[in-house]
Amino acid sequence: MTNYFQKKNNQWSILVIIILSIINILNIVYNTPMVPDQHWAQKIFYVHVPSAWIGFLSYFIVMISGFMYLTSRDNKWDNIGLAASEIGTFFMALVLITGPIWATPIWGQPWVWEPRLVTTLILFLIYIGYFMIRAYGGYIERMKRNAAALGIVAFINVPIIFLSVQFWSPEIQSHPQVEMAEQPSEILSPFIFSLIVFTMLYTVMIRYRVYVINLNNGMNEDV
Amino acid sequence: MLSVQNISKAFNRKKILKNISFSQKEGESIVFMGRNGAGKSTLFRIIARLMTYDNGSIIFQGKNLLKVKPIHSSKLFYLGHSPGMYHPFSAIENLNFLLSLRKIYKDQSEILDVLDQFGLMESANEPIGVYSEGMLQRLKIVCAQLMDWDMILIDEPFSNLDKDGLDLVQKHISFWRSQNKTISMILHNKNHAENFCDRILTLESGIIK
Amino acid sequence: MFLVLLKKELFIELRSKELILSMVVFGIAIVLAFSFSSNLSRAVVINYASGMFWITILFVSALGVHRSFAYEKEYDAFSMLVTAPIDRGLIFLAKWVSGFIYLTLMEILIIFPFFKFLMIDYPSNILIAISTTLFINLGIMAVANLVSGIAMRSNLSEILLPILFFPLVSPIIIAATKISTSVMLNDSYVLWEIWVLIVGSIIIISGLAGYVLFDYLVEE
Repeated sequence: MTNYFQKKNNQWSILVIIILSIINILNIVYNTPMVPDQHWAQKIFYVHVPSAWIGFLSYFIVMISGFMYLTSRDNKWDNIGLAASEIGTFFMALVLITGPIWATPIWGQPWVWEPRLVTTLILFLIYIGYFMIRAYGGYIERMKRNAAALGIVAFINVPIIFLSVQFWSPEIQSHPQVEMAEQPSEILSPFIFSLIVFTMLYTVMIRYRVYVINLNNGMNEDV
Repeated sequence: MLSVQNISKAFNRKKILKNISFSQKEGESIVFMGRNGAGKSTLFRIIARLMTYDNGSIIFQGKNLLKVKPIHSSKLFYLGHSPGMYHPFSAIENLNFLLSLRKIYKDQSEILDVLDQFGLMESANEPIGVYSEGMLQRLKIVCAQLMDWDMILIDEPFSNLDKDGLDLVQKHISFWRSQNKTISMILHNKNHAENFCDRILTLESGIIK
Repeated sequence: MFLVLLKKELFIELRSKELILSMVVFGIAIVLAFSFSSNLSRAVVINYASGMFWITILFVSALGVHRSFAYEKEYDAFSMLVTAPIDRGLIFLAKWVSGFIYLTLMEILIIFPFFKFLMIDYPSNILIAISTTLFINLGIMAVANLVSGIAMRSNLSEILLPILFFPLVSPIIIAATKISTSVMLNDSYVLWEIWVLIVGSIIIISGLAGYVLFDYLVEE
């Protein structure tokens, strides 16, 4: 198996991502307007929301991979599912950390039962269970099937979980700044740029992670 | 009757079965032998659709078992190591349940008659949780006798049996062979094997020798 | 065939009597714990009563479903079910319906101690209270059996079941608490209609998912 970093495509994509990420950070720090009352805390928005987008996208990929694995029994789908679940959980953890940091100046306390945050927390807990299935689900081949089934079940419940939390405390509104359509262009443009950079970063991360998993499985085969 | 082609199975990435292929004609009896851990029980559990496989195909009565609904394997019966029954139920209740799963309707008198042949009449109404290993083994063969099958997979039919039990089971296997039923068994005793089969296949290191 | 499987589930419990008894005793123990630990006035307890009730049901459901699948593991009884020429999704349906029956029976037995220990009044509209409770039971059992099917053959199934079950059932618990509180307060149906729809959606999604996925989950 060729070393991942020896391929020209991969080298270029990593370089481009590093440059874009640096530009993104500088853009967020220097180019975005300071929102009154929120000041620096508001800039977390440019990391928090893209992280949530990546997290949910990742879990969607886990669901699709799970479905494909169950129907085709091709291990490549399990590898993609595992990579997506790990990266998705990392970004969800980021959401749960940045959310309270951002919430404190807005609501005066780090945690409120805001629907998106609570949905993220519930999904995060479900995926901790997913990793436990991976660790304790029996022999590897059975574990993969169980994990695939859980990945499907977890994501199909996302709309229900979100709706139920939203209606549970209707007095707790989503953070107003999450309503994208109402944002001025000096906030919207850097946000979209950040979203694109995060998505590209995710693509690189998942490709590399799948490569490492394949390498690991290849080393352990035919023992 | 049965055609197994290139069946492979790994546990924790260790290949237990490596491209197993064999065929079994209608009415033929095959005994599978091999050391512990050779993969004999695993092979039977895969054919019985109790366990998944990594690749290959199993054609039973013209249908690929692994791609069709379970209803198409109704004429294939599997008896594993364990009793495969519910311990709170009595022998009669377990048998009635298993028969109804396969939509087979038998008179209670017929069920009791077979139980009597195997010396289980007295404990027929007791929960099988109190049965000894030998009694459970006999009960499994009673179950096989009552079921409607063209092919049976039996994992160690003679284990835990006393002399009377052994005679009974041997008699029934001989009877099934005379009825042109297709039988596959896992045995460890070569004498038994030679008396009750047309062919012996030995599994070693995941392949058939 | 579904009726054959359902009859088996019900007769096993009739014979062994392990499930209902353990669920009832566990349920009463939790209610007692709530009574001792909530140093609240009666007026405040009324607000939390729905939540306490459904948390009790949650714990009891996890215990019940785990025990229901434990029967299958003993003596490897599950192998006979899996190798039988039946639609495997029916196994899930039978477990779902039998679990619903056990849960309802258990609730009948603990509802009286629940109201008496916490010193709260019964709902004025008993019929609506019962029908909504039954509806929610269906939802809880659908999720519980689906998760149990996933965790069943795992090494730590007793631990994995609640870890997977509790987050997945959270929308039902939110809905159940809202519905029960509204029923206790005699609110108009329009106010809690959305929660009934949420529970209904979960029943459909979990039921369908369980029926389809069970074929993949039962094989070793």
